[in-house]
Amino acid sequence: MILDPVLDLFRGKAVTIPPLDGAFRPNTRLDDAPAFAELTEPDNLLVSGERVLASSGNAIYSLAARTEPKIVETFPSAVTALALSPSGELTVGLESGKLLISGKEVPLPAALSCITALAYADDGTLWLANGSAERAPSQWAADLMRKGASGSLWRRDAAGGGFRKVSGDIAFPYGLYSVGRDVLVSESWRHQLVRFDGATGNRSTVLTHLPGYPARLSPSADGGAWLTLFAPRNRLIEFVLQEKHYRQDMLSQVPPAYWIAPALASSRSFLEPLQCGGIRTMGIHKPWSPSRSYGLVVRLDQDMQPQFSLHSRANGTRHGICSVAERDGILFIASRGGDCVLAVDLASGGF
Amino acid sequence: MSFRERLQSWRYNLVPDHVVGEILTKRWTDNAIPFLALVVTLATFGSIIPGFFKLTALQESTRQLGEFSMVVTGMTVVMLGGGIDLSVGSIFALSCFSAVYVFFILEQSIWLALAASVATGLVFGAINGYLVGYLRLRAFLTTLVTFIFGRALFDILVTTYAADVQLSTATSDVLDFIGDSTFWGLSVSVWLAIILAIVTHIALTRSRPGWHVLAVGGSRRSAHNAGIRVRRTVFMTYVFSGFCASIGGFLIACRLSGAGPGTGLNLEIMALTAAVVGGVSLGGGRGSVIKGLMGAIIVLTMTNGLIRMGYGTGTNQMVLGIMLAVAVTIDIRWLKNRHKVLNEVYVAPVYLKMGKTQSAAPGSGTSYELDNRLSAADHIGLGELEGPEDVILDRDDNLYCGTRHGEIVRFFAPDYVKSEVFAHIGGFPLGLAFDKSGNLISCVGAMGLYSVSPDREVKRLSAETSRSWTSIVDDARLRDPNDCDIAPDGRIYFTDSTKRYDAHDWALDSIENRATGRLLVYDPKDGSTRTLLDGYRYTNGVCMAHDGKSLFFAESWACRVHRYWLEGPKAGTAECVIRDMPGYPDNINRASDGNYWMAWLGMRTPSFDLSLRHPDMRKRMTRRLPQDEWLFPNINTGGVVKFTEKGGIVEAMGDLSGGAHPMVTSMREHKGYLFVGGILNNRIGRYKVAGADPNWTSPASYWGAKS
Repeated sequence: MILDPVLDLFRGKAVTIPPLDGAFRPNTRLDDAPAFAELTEPDNLLVSGERVLASSGNAIYSLAARTEPKIVETFPSAVTALALSPSGELTVGLESGKLLISGKEVPLPAALSCITALAYADDGTLWLANGSAERAPSQWAADLMRKGASGSLWRRDAAGGGFRKVSGDIAFPYGLYSVGRDVLVSESWRHQLVRFDGATGNRSTVLTHLPGYPARLSPSADGGAWLTLFAPRNRLIEFVLQEKHYRQDMLSQVPPAYWIAPALASSRSFLEPLQCGGIRTMGIHKPWSPSRSYGLVVRLDQDMQPQFSLHSRANGTRHGICSVAERDGILFIASRGGDCVLAVDLASGGF
Repeated sequence: MSFRERLQSWRYNLVPDHVVGEILTKRWTDNAIPFLALVVTLATFGSIIPGFFKLTALQESTRQLGEFSMVVTGMTVVMLGGGIDLSVGSIFALSCFSAVYVFFILEQSIWLALAASVATGLVFGAINGYLVGYLRLRAFLTTLVTFIFGRALFDILVTTYAADVQLSTATSDVLDFIGDSTFWGLSVSVWLAIILAIVTHIALTRSRPGWHVLAVGGSRRSAHNAGIRVRRTVFMTYVFSGFCASIGGFLIACRLSGAGPGTGLNLEIMALTAAVVGGVSLGGGRGSVIKGLMGAIIVLTMTNGLIRMGYGTGTNQMVLGIMLAVAVTIDIRWLKNRHKVLNEVYVAPVYLKMGKTQSAAPGSGTSYELDNRLSAADHIGLGELEGPEDVILDRDDNLYCGTRHGEIVRFFAPDYVKSEVFAHIGGFPLGLAFDKSGNLISCVGAMGLYSVSPDREVKRLSAETSRSWTSIVDDARLRDPNDCDIAPDGRIYFTDSTKRYDAHDWALDSIENRATGRLLVYDPKDGSTRTLLDGYRYTNGVCMAHDGKSLFFAESWACRVHRYWLEGPKAGTAECVIRDMPGYPDNINRASDGNYWMAWLGMRTPSFDLSLRHPDMRKRMTRRLPQDEWLFPNINTGGVVKFTEKGGIVEAMGDLSGGAHPMVTSMREHKGYLFVGGILNNRIGRYKVAGADPNWTSPASYWGAKS
């Protein structure tokens, strides 16, 4: 209606989010997939030669089919990022803000304390995403609900030396993907993929209006990439983000697990918020109902445009996917909300 | 409490926002805009033009108004029937000429002139009606053609006979009386207009043909399907319009004693503007004669006022055009968006700070601590049932429950596999109770209090109570009768949860949280219903105490249980026995050990409790988000809680997985088992209660052993 812009000043605009359509059309592939390994909150996945490595808590496990995960290495605090250098050095970021390369601690600038992702370029350049200047990686929900945008992108040249800040004011960079000299960053709180020029640090958006909060990126065999979205966008959450007083009271008075905020898993306690659509009716939890958690892995083509996606819907359990890794036509998917690592055979197709 | 929060509580608890929404539900708000326009127009011109309201000036204006409003009345009826009549101006002019011709040139009696005039109107109306009604041509084009044709005919006739009329010497007292005199202070034309308006109004609102017109205008196809003769009805509206225009034409003939080229010029635009400005919908079916008259007064005041202020015809036409455009826009936008506005405005949340509660989380160690026991319950009617809000067993161990299809289903003892529809009531049967003679009493959501006899005869006991003085929406009607129980003397105590929402919208009431729940009593001796208590936040379960001297009732959104005394020193008063529970209480029933069972329909969540302290946030939420996205209390987990007469909590059990009994709205103990129902569930659960009396039944507890 013609008067809407004027009326909106008084009544507020409708809160909308991008629909799950096109390449994001829902399916149940993640819930249909067999579990490759059971592991509590698997976060990062890495393919290292014949081994599949997964981080969980403050340990790195080695996974293999039909066997219990084996501990490879433990650390004093939780592992928040993993990468493998072209020469095979295991690079680990910790919750405490420390960075280890092949077990040796690398000195970091003081501003670096929230390592959310690591990636090596082919020439050995190490990219590092610092999620927030104020909070540790596990405090991501607080960073989102306080509208944090203090993340930054860092690089260390292959020749060695210190880390150099490439760009700042990124709203929680959570995934890295090196493309030639440049790097692709998933800017989670702004639901977009941004490309940073390796030399100048200039940014250009690649993919915007994602239906979820993007997490880590990993390469796929044909030159494209896999993007994980660790939680769905939710209209109530976006509404609460605009409600200053309620949000502040919630942050200060409600325990974080029961916030109206995205989550890696939901419906585990009756103290969690519930939205009308999520009410169990006649024994059914509607798969399309609004949810705080979701499982979503997206395949991007060489131009970084979405091709298809794998879903675990509101009534599913394989939620909170932060990382995937592809090897020999098999995609390994780590579901933090579902406490398992999945293996999906890509060769069978059907996407 | 911060200053801001205190301010919020005053703003949302003292300002009655809900009144706006309730007023908007009234049909008469449709009249408000035209009425306001009328007052503004009269006030404006009355103050600008000196002597605007003087008697002499008014006399002339009202004569004009009388003729004009008749034409508008005819136009209104056509528009109500879903059509439009652009030819009223030319019919008016031709009728005027007919009267003048018969009286002045043929020198016949004035009555014959009237007959000629009316005949002209009827013939032209019938032509319109035949073309539009029977041949189903487009009303707009058809009447445009008759308008052009009629106007051309009139122009030819007037130029031909003008001189003859001037020379005529015919006079008549009747003509002078109609044209110049007054009767009880009002001119004949005004009297006629009033009579016509009253008759038309009564016909439209109180008679079969009038209803047919409204039905056809509202929906032609539905009217046809309902057996209304649509074509004839449409035909008659045009004939009526022609008749009205012809009477107007006759009156102007009397007033001016002649006809000139200006007679009836632009009348169709004025009449159309008047009807639309008054609020008669162009789409048909909505409007009234009164609205048409209001519009007529507005338009005439406007045009006459502008002329007296010295503006020419051009300005006048321009103003008319603008008024028409504005009115049409408002009409269409309002009709289209009224329900949206209502939806946006109706939910008016209030401020509430819930008391601090004990935790019910597993492992918390409180008496409210929920476990997973109910998930082990056997299921009855899984997949066959939809929405057994309450369950009850009779003396022969048969199980009864309501369903969302408005039925009462009976499962047969002993295995509860076979079932039948015991009775069909309609609505949504909620609370159930057996009276002394075995009648099944049920609170039926959206309908009232009903009784089903053992031989399945359904009888309505009560659907209304007395209306409160300050109510805007009629609160005598029971909107959400929820649970009932029967006192030893046979009186039925029951709750009506909210005055604001219908039964199926109960969840909206939790968002609003306004205290409008009632406790009522139905007396079978004289069939009367009385309101005992009012102003609770969603009154829900009712249960007579074991001694029958008091009853317990649940106040869901406040998480409290109250005790209402029927006898003793505190008779007629209520006291809160359990407050600040971690769950929302639903039905309450007796337990075999002298305690009481209470169902929890859902659990409090910190985020929702906090939102109750932010009514502004909830209000914006209802406006900016679709309902599926709204924040709710967590009704995916419920439970069953046992409490003592003093209000102490004995134990609590639940289904934390949510797989079998997520939301529990009722439970009934019977021979050592607990039968569990849920309004959103698809089964009844049967759970063996450890330590329960295996012989105890509810009917025996209420009415004694089988006689």
